Amino acid sequence: MSSAGTLHGDAAARDPHTPLPTLDRPDDYLHAQSTLRSWFLTTDHKRIALLYLASITAFFVIGAVAAGFVRLALVVPDGAIMTNDTYNKAFTIHGVVMVWFFLIPSIPATFGNFLIPLMIGAKDLAFPKLNLTSWYIFMTGALFTLVAVVLGGVDTGWTFYAPLSTAFSNTWVLPALIGVTIVGFSSILTGLNFVVTIHTMRAPGMTWFRLPIFVWTHYATSLIFLLATPVITLALILLIAERAFHVGVFDPAYGGDPVLFQHLFWFYSHPAVYIMVLPGMGVISEIVPAFAQKKLFGYRFVAYAAIGLASVTFFVWGHHMFVNGQSDLASLAFSALSFAVAVPSAVKVYNWTATIHKGSLRLDTPMLYAMGYIGLFVLGGLTGLYLATLAINQHIHATYFVVAHFHYIMVGGTVLAFLGGLHFWWPKITGRMYSEPWGRISALFIFIGFNVTFFPQFILGYLGMPRRYATYPPEFQLLNVLSSAGSTILAAGYLFPMVYLVYSLWFGRRASANPWDAKGLEWETASPPPPHNFAGVPQVPKVPYDYPIQAPETGSHHT
Amino acid sequence: MSADVTGANPAADPVGVTRAEHFATVGQQRHAATLGMWAWLLTELLLFAGLFLTALILRLLHPEAVQAAAGHLKFWIGATNTVVLLCSSLTMSAAIELSRLGWQRMMVGCLLATASLGALFLMLKGYEYYADYEEHMMPFLARRPYALAEQPATRLFVNLYYVATALHALHLFTGIAILLGITWKASRPGFLQRHQNWIEVYGLYWHFIDLIWIIAFPVLYVVNR
Repeated sequence: MSSAGTLHGDAAARDPHTPLPTLDRPDDYLHAQSTLRSWFLTTDHKRIALLYLASITAFFVIGAVAAGFVRLALVVPDGAIMTNDTYNKAFTIHGVVMVWFFLIPSIPATFGNFLIPLMIGAKDLAFPKLNLTSWYIFMTGALFTLVAVVLGGVDTGWTFYAPLSTAFSNTWVLPALIGVTIVGFSSILTGLNFVVTIHTMRAPGMTWFRLPIFVWTHYATSLIFLLATPVITLALILLIAERAFHVGVFDPAYGGDPVLFQHLFWFYSHPAVYIMVLPGMGVISEIVPAFAQKKLFGYRFVAYAAIGLASVTFFVWGHHMFVNGQSDLASLAFSALSFAVAVPSAVKVYNWTATIHKGSLRLDTPMLYAMGYIGLFVLGGLTGLYLATLAINQHIHATYFVVAHFHYIMVGGTVLAFLGGLHFWWPKITGRMYSEPWGRISALFIFIGFNVTFFPQFILGYLGMPRRYATYPPEFQLLNVLSSAGSTILAAGYLFPMVYLVYSLWFGRRASANPWDAKGLEWETASPPPPHNFAGVPQVPKVPYDYPIQAPETGSHHT
Repeated sequence: MSADVTGANPAADPVGVTRAEHFATVGQQRHAATLGMWAWLLTELLLFAGLFLTALILRLLHPEAVQAAAGHLKFWIGATNTVVLLCSSLTMSAAIELSRLGWQRMMVGCLLATASLGALFLMLKGYEYYADYEEHMMPFLARRPYALAEQPATRLFVNLYYVATALHALHLFTGIAILLGITWKASRPGFLQRHQNWIEVYGLYWHFIDLIWIIAFPVLYVVNR
């Protein structure tokens, strides 16, 4: 701590151990109050975002450790490292924690919470107390799930398919189900808060088509939160009732149908993919124009594409059930609709690429993550088309091809966008700059580590290795060892930011209000922002993404 | 802007809303509160929609079994409860109108009447559950013999009846608890100058619980009876 004083003359003012006159205390949202109570009972959207950031980082670590165990077990083909039971529990913990407690809340609950009021020029979300309540609901749900893990784990996979989860599993399914049900309410309330905020709290002059794409994608995400989450809540309530009281809805002996659970489950969980992906697309749509110093290409199309994705996604859930006895006609319809998803996705990718084209490019850390995102998202998206094709799906259904595909979207997409956003807005959130060289090195580690981990899984899946087995034929060992080796590179890439970002909190260079020369209302206020975000009512620019270089490049044309 | 600041001067107007710090205008605050409740009701609708859809699919798959089971439901208790809830919605609407007029005492009376009718519904529902228990119509109780055991699909329908009505009763119970809390606050002087819109926003929720019952009653009790 003492070295801080030598690095920066006023750094001691940030040291909580040094008593200082109140006059010297900075009046930004981080320092305005410093009691524990002022954090745990805060209604400031920025502080709640940080509560979420701390909790989801903890869950990310838990989920990543479980993934490490899975990759460790798969180094040998004969299951010598882990028994079937332990292996089942490891991949279930990994899936449950990563999907329900990291990916779904990740960008919306942290950056969405932090940035939406700033970007639309509001003092807070519409319902600040409800916002805090959703964090407590989230933590309550997490507690139930962690209890299930501590008591001995769950072996059903994150999908909780009946009848394994209702009649056959002898593990702690009930507390895990209750936990996941509770977490759903946290999502619903966050989505509700965003929808109402975006509708009613925009600053004067902030029309819908002056909103940053980040806000558009969060609006689309929130609609999915509102329309899809209640259905999984119901499905999980029925599943809990089935396991606890043998209600019979998913039991053929009483006229029920286990496939009905899959329908209800995927009616939520496919749209949930877009809960995880859309906010990331919002982040990329902010980073790319800022680091190309160029106006976002096709703003309206990118905005419409977000709403388009959020709509089409409700009609493709059947593609998870191509081999479950669904009628051929239904499969055909779901296949065609799944292809339709590629259109708005491609619109976004083309628009980002066109924005980069002839821009004045800076390859700083956030941009490296954004470029990585675009590449990996394209790969993940294109392999999704393979899976949407009925004939090919028969061959690669429930293989590592699927595992690789959704990791390209979830990790290559969402996690990279999350990290890109974290680096992009870190100066705004904390008022400090992180180490740029370390940022670039970690981005590179993550990109390489990710590809070494997951690309072999495409090949494994194509060759027929099924997912969720602790053992595999010996001829697959080489690719599995390669994948496990890649995961250690990936792990290193994740560890670096945890160190240098925390380090920057005390020793990082002070950030200016707008260190990236980015456009958007969040860069107009101080870093970190004052408790109510803006000194006065912010002046909304006439055009969003008003960067020096126009898109398309018309030369003299200026709006 | 000037139209938005209804009730900004409490002395002038007996009815209004105090602006919370983070809202720019009272109009914005009212809009946000109402929209928030509608958004919540949308999620509730989807929650129950899945349940009703399941019940309807069941009727299509096993019409005879469902008919046999539905015949054991206490139609007249259900019908009475429908009337009770409709009356409670009437008193709730009256409370909303009275709150707009600023007639606080009568409004509190109407709110209490609404809560009482809600409680009456729950008591009747409880009695109905008791009668079901006596008739051995609780298949989810593993140790208690079940009256229609020879038709497995009836078991599923009866169980779904419990899930649906219990979920509705849970909403009603929560609704009554919140309503009593609001009534307690609303009985204090000056409430309508500060929080008139609470009554309107809460009214939406109460009517919604009513609406869910109006769908549940025919789906469970009436169709193919």
